[in-house]
Amino acid sequence: MTISRRDLLRSALVLGSAAALGPALGGCATSSVAAPSVRSGDVDLLFWTHDQGYIDFFSGAVGLADRATSYRYALRSLQIAADDLVTKLIAQAVAGRGMPDVAGLEIGNFARLLRGDLAPELLEPLDDAVADVRDDLIEARLAPFSRDGHLYALDSDVPMAVYYRRDDLFTELGIPTEVESWEELARIGAKVHDQTGRSLGTVVTGTDLGQVVQQFWIPLLQRGGGLFDADGELSIETPEAEEVLRFLVDGVQSGFLSTVSDVYGPAMQAALKQGKIIGLSMPSWYESYGLKPNVPEQAGAWRIGALPPFEGGGGRTSVGGGTGFAAVTGSPHTAASADFVASAYLDPDQQVRRFTDLGYLPTRRSAYQDQRLLTLEDEYLGGQRAFEVFADLVDEAPAVYLSPDIQILNTVLAGALVDAYRGRSTPAQALTEAAETFRSQADR
Amino acid sequence: MSSLASAAPTAVVRGTTTPPGAAARRTLPSAATQRAPYLFIAPFYLLYVLFMIVPIVAALFLSLTSWVGLGTPEFVGLANYGNLLGDSSFWTAAGNSGLYVLVAVVLVVPCSLLIAQALNARGLRARDLFRVTYFVPMVVSPIVVALIFSMLLDTEYGLLNSFLHAAFGLPGVDWLTDPSWARASVSFVLLWRWVGYLTIFFLAGLQAVPRELYEAAELDGAGPVRSFTTVTLPAIKPVTAFVVVTSFISAAQLFDEPYLLTGGGPGESTLSLAMFVYRAAFERQQFGYAAAAGVLLFVLVFAVSQLLNRALQIGRAA
Repeated sequence: MTISRRDLLRSALVLGSAAALGPALGGCATSSVAAPSVRSGDVDLLFWTHDQGYIDFFSGAVGLADRATSYRYALRSLQIAADDLVTKLIAQAVAGRGMPDVAGLEIGNFARLLRGDLAPELLEPLDDAVADVRDDLIEARLAPFSRDGHLYALDSDVPMAVYYRRDDLFTELGIPTEVESWEELARIGAKVHDQTGRSLGTVVTGTDLGQVVQQFWIPLLQRGGGLFDADGELSIETPEAEEVLRFLVDGVQSGFLSTVSDVYGPAMQAALKQGKIIGLSMPSWYESYGLKPNVPEQAGAWRIGALPPFEGGGGRTSVGGGTGFAAVTGSPHTAASADFVASAYLDPDQQVRRFTDLGYLPTRRSAYQDQRLLTLEDEYLGGQRAFEVFADLVDEAPAVYLSPDIQILNTVLAGALVDAYRGRSTPAQALTEAAETFRSQADR
Repeated sequence: MSSLASAAPTAVVRGTTTPPGAAARRTLPSAATQRAPYLFIAPFYLLYVLFMIVPIVAALFLSLTSWVGLGTPEFVGLANYGNLLGDSSFWTAAGNSGLYVLVAVVLVVPCSLLIAQALNARGLRARDLFRVTYFVPMVVSPIVVALIFSMLLDTEYGLLNSFLHAAFGLPGVDWLTDPSWARASVSFVLLWRWVGYLTIFFLAGLQAVPRELYEAAELDGAGPVRSFTTVTLPAIKPVTAFVVVTSFISAAQLFDEPYLLTGGGPGESTLSLAMFVYRAAFERQQFGYAAAAGVLLFVLVFAVSQLLNRALQIGRAA
């Protein structure tokens, strides 16, 4: 029999397609055979996170978890970029192997798991693991990591936003540290900028879309709004959203707010070092991840305080960011993983340690009365008892609601915000345009 | 006579007697001999099928489904394609990719040719130094390139705006955050990175042009421009055609530069089609939608490449 080249190619194509597509599509389905769950004894957990600080924290919690549970844990850690972590998690789930047991999911990327059945397919509900302390957990930080009434991850933080200020320069320039409202601070800030070229706040206009949106989201939450409502529906076409955006646009145009390409990188470092930005509204973790790395020499010069409220209403704080720790489902170690996360995070001493070691605020309400935290003096903040500020604000922390389409909103809203800051569109136009584009792209 | 000739046509060659079986082996190869060439080329085609054909077939299948990346894909027919055609983001990305293609073909390729021509000039000193200098941007990691340019082009604290302000008193330009300037910035980086690489191809082509042709043209009274248009360009047409087609394909699938420099922003003003596909799949968990966009991108690139191949007569004898 003679085989032509065309026949050979056709045969290979058919066989190859069948061989590759079969397992590939089979792999998409959830496995129905599960190994028996490990209920005690030695457990080797694979832990994925984007932050070395979490690796150190969880590694240090192994002994405690051993005592608190029926397991003896060994922890292997892998550090992966926050975006890639979720992508790799899904890829490994399709492959059916190489899954982590515990994963730290940055809040923006956790939202990707809200699409379809990804969250229940990949993550173990933690309702039972937290049942004993559920009433003590700060409710506002359960919402973003919950779906259909189930909690899929424990937030690492209550990332409350406060106002950071260069106390030395505020004193030198005669800027009051207690003001009635954002609007009053904006009026003062405009004058300061006219006279000195310095700004009392910032908005982001760079290429990190999440940062651009976050700098709008933080004041919007403070004002009582949000990007999405409790049902996950878009909520940027509201009077609050327009008011907040107008406030930011006016601030940029008056010089009260400075635009930077990102709040961690070289541009921000230059602005801080040159004293061009001497105040800003950022979450609690910004001291550890923004100020200290960029301007360590300014230790002692910074202070924090509650955010000035908006004249139109809202609270004295907001939130930004967060990372949820989850136990991956479908593994013999799932129960052990859930117990590990709960014991490492919810133990009162661990709540304290998370703040002292990482700067992440406790997620249990009772920890806000802990004297170890309340009396803690922060050298970078000139010996200020920073925790007292947070304890005073914790009950005003707003809840954050997510949507699986938040990445779409980040794209369309970031562009609209920058257009508004640059005067290329009005705040109302920017928000309407973003909302319309969002609706045309969501639910695909 | 005829029977003798047909029975053993080679048996009397060189006046020796050859066994009939040996003659038959030469005229009618065995099945194993027939298959040998196919077995030799089989590894390539096997890999080609596994890593090229199968993914394309899988992408075609996925493009007809809605899939979040896990679980069973839900068949939706041609809905993804219908949605794509009505998606303003897709058309924005297509427009941007069209711009990058234009920059690559209309700007990068001619610049590369001119630089190659300059490097090929007789008596040029430090030729290797220039060649290395032009080629370096291509071998520098795109991450480093993005970092450097983002620092240079920062609106408030970038070196370029500081220079423009100090030297000319100009206000800051939003190089990366104004839609038009952002496109221009990505295009400039494209130019900066690719020119040196393509110059190498042109230089190889130019060095293969016989010197006699230029001497003959000079004797006929042709100046440098005339020599370039009547000798150089026709002589390097195959190289030019290759460079144009590969530049088109690379620019149509551009990802690194806009992804790292602007993230596709501000808004979607620098989003390329390849980024659109990536974003849909790996940021939004819309794998079916991403596959549909990928299929359209593939069809577009394939079709235009074929047209260019024919128009430029690539692979055909002159």
